[in-house]
Amino acid sequence: MKIFDLIALSARNLSRRKGRTALTVIGVAVGTCLIIVMISFGIAMNQANEAMLASWGDLTQIQVYGNGTVYYSGSGGSVAVGSAAVGGDDQPAVLNDEMIATFTKMDHVVAATPFYQAYSLNGTITAGRGDRYSSSLGNAVGVYASAMEPMGFTLASGDWMTDTGSYGRDVIPVMVCEQTGYNFEDTRKSYNSSKRYRWYGQTDAAGNLLEPFVDVNKEDMTLTLSNGDAENPKTKSWKLKVVGSINPDTAKGWWTQSSFILRIQDVKMLQEEYKDLAGSNASPYGTDTTSYDQVYVKVDDMDNVEEVDQAIQDLGFSTYSMTQQREAMQKQVSQLMLILGCLAAFSLLVAALNIINTMTMAIYERTREIGIMKVLGCALGKIRLMFLIESGFIGLIGGVTGSVVSLLISFVLNNLTLIMAVLGGSGGGGGISDMMSMMGYYGTGSAVSVVPPWLVLLALAFATLIGLVAGILPAARATKISALEAIRHE
Amino acid sequence: MAPIIRTEGLRKVYAVGKERVVALDNVDISVEKGEFCCIVGQSGSGKSTLLNQLAGLEKPTRGKVFIGRHEISAMTENELAAFRQAHLGFIFQSYNLLPSMTAAENVALPLMFKGMGRRERLALAKKELKSMGLASRVNHLPTEMSGGQQQRVGIARAFVSRPKVIFADEPTGNLDSKTSRQVLLRMLEMSKKDQITFVMVTHEPSLAACADRIITILDGRVQSDVVPPEEERLRRRQALADELARDEAEEAARAEQENAGSEAPDAPAARQTTSAADAAAK
Repeated sequence: MKIFDLIALSARNLSRRKGRTALTVIGVAVGTCLIIVMISFGIAMNQANEAMLASWGDLTQIQVYGNGTVYYSGSGGSVAVGSAAVGGDDQPAVLNDEMIATFTKMDHVVAATPFYQAYSLNGTITAGRGDRYSSSLGNAVGVYASAMEPMGFTLASGDWMTDTGSYGRDVIPVMVCEQTGYNFEDTRKSYNSSKRYRWYGQTDAAGNLLEPFVDVNKEDMTLTLSNGDAENPKTKSWKLKVVGSINPDTAKGWWTQSSFILRIQDVKMLQEEYKDLAGSNASPYGTDTTSYDQVYVKVDDMDNVEEVDQAIQDLGFSTYSMTQQREAMQKQVSQLMLILGCLAAFSLLVAALNIINTMTMAIYERTREIGIMKVLGCALGKIRLMFLIESGFIGLIGGVTGSVVSLLISFVLNNLTLIMAVLGGSGGGGGISDMMSMMGYYGTGSAVSVVPPWLVLLALAFATLIGLVAGILPAARATKISALEAIRHE
Repeated sequence: MAPIIRTEGLRKVYAVGKERVVALDNVDISVEKGEFCCIVGQSGSGKSTLLNQLAGLEKPTRGKVFIGRHEISAMTENELAAFRQAHLGFIFQSYNLLPSMTAAENVALPLMFKGMGRRERLALAKKELKSMGLASRVNHLPTEMSGGQQQRVGIARAFVSRPKVIFADEPTGNLDSKTSRQVLLRMLEMSKKDQITFVMVTHEPSLAACADRIITILDGRVQSDVVPPEEERLRRRQALADELARDEAEEAARAEQENAGSEAPDAPAARQTTSAADAAAK
């Protein structure tokens, strides 16, 4: 007997009792629909979380802290504290160039760079005629010049700095950011005058955007270190050469918007010079050239961050990465999903019982037919297969119906505000977003429900499987019917 | 020539409540290839039970059943299904057509189980139905046909795959005597044409009388196993055919008379035909 004939026979039998088939199919459809919608909520939540985390910080970047000061990330993340000491010599691990080289050699690590903020150096960057415009040196940061590109920074203009490049005597290469120019203040205006400052987005009376005082890409700038002694001032100056400018990437930090980016070797040189200038007045903090407070490590893939993170912690450092946040969030979502998924699974269980019932009824009704088929020489396996195909069909049709309905539901949920607006309802959209935020969903205007194609395929396969499994018992019963009894059956 | 169907010490005992009912006891029969065999007996004599054993629909309590070289009493259910599919045909008292299928689809059913393609098997089925005089009914559902027509569909279904043996359990039991004769003659004709062995259970002696072999069962035992002389058989069949022809002619005449009666009140012509038919019958 050909499989096509079996399928045709099964389909005919199903369509013979449309009402009952439809009811059973609805059961499966409801179950499938629930599962798809529930999972789609979870996917949407994870996506929203991911987007939110990405906006907080680079997901593949790990911040490593030295054992001195512990900085807390401005975005509110917590810092994992590693063990204080490591290795056989009981010496605290030191975050120096050698250690960074060790990080770089780890699997999955793309690049690593120290991140030095020049708060502690007393100095200014000046520009304009008579050095009228001035910016604090606190806006300068130091990194490995060669690590910038692999770390994921992008050039807006110019070139990257190179470690070995020669930029001239008493010239320090620098990279700038989009808004670096707004760091400059007009020193001829009083501190109280609003005309002393310019900030990004500021407009004049006519509403035109105000340019910063200094165009950092064109104008000459000078970096001056000072001992800070008013009675016996000593200064030393360098010319700054702007090599290029980078695009802002707030995921990596706000500093990417408006810093002067220096090479770490130039920073070290400045630290030494400052110590010479200021002598005993120099702060011990920020002038230590043997270790770094903070190092950024870039990992090739989000999934490997945890492994690298752990390896660095094992070396005795405190670290911070978005993975720690991400895992906590994912755990929360998956717990929620488990509960919702169980509910949906129960409804599919009920659907399966429904199928068993329908198929058993069908077999009682068709006892005589089964008998006739047996007497005419239909193999038992084919009879079993026929009923399995029938119950599988119920599952499949239910799955298809459920998928279509859930896609509709998903569409409606995602466009609820719009739909409400079109229908003229006022404030009706709040209900769902309230519900979603209750469920731990951080409404950021993204989709409430996301149904990827694999979810639909999975649901179809699952519904069909449910149908097949539910059909096993009734089909086995059908094959056990005695042919002789069956043909006498009225 | 070796018999195509043969039993050895066949015994069947049913447990009815605590009672044990011996339905068949020590039955040894054999049927030759191409024979038209009738099993007769009163109701409850065990004739249907015997047929079920022969066809492998039921396992004997003891004894053996052979069809050809195969001991079907020792086969598993799956082997039996395959054997039935390949070698046996069945005709039932209650026709047992699948109600959701048209006449042609019902007839094509055994061919479908054999794995024949839809177009091919339906063509064969239609041909078979045509030879049963049901050409105009091929696409009708069983419920749209008379009992006689349904049984002819059943017969077509049994013959369509040209099996070695056809078993028929009271095939005329639900039919009136005229249709019964029609059906019997048709079965006879077809089994003779293709040399198909035919085993039929009936309680109508007039039909059984036409068989090549008449096995009479009484209380589960073979009372008699008779092979009438060939000329006797042919004479009886001829008589049955003549009887049928007369009945048919009478009926045709009656129908015509009624038609004529309704259409034209004065109908000497109709009366004339009737007497002509009578004369022909005599």
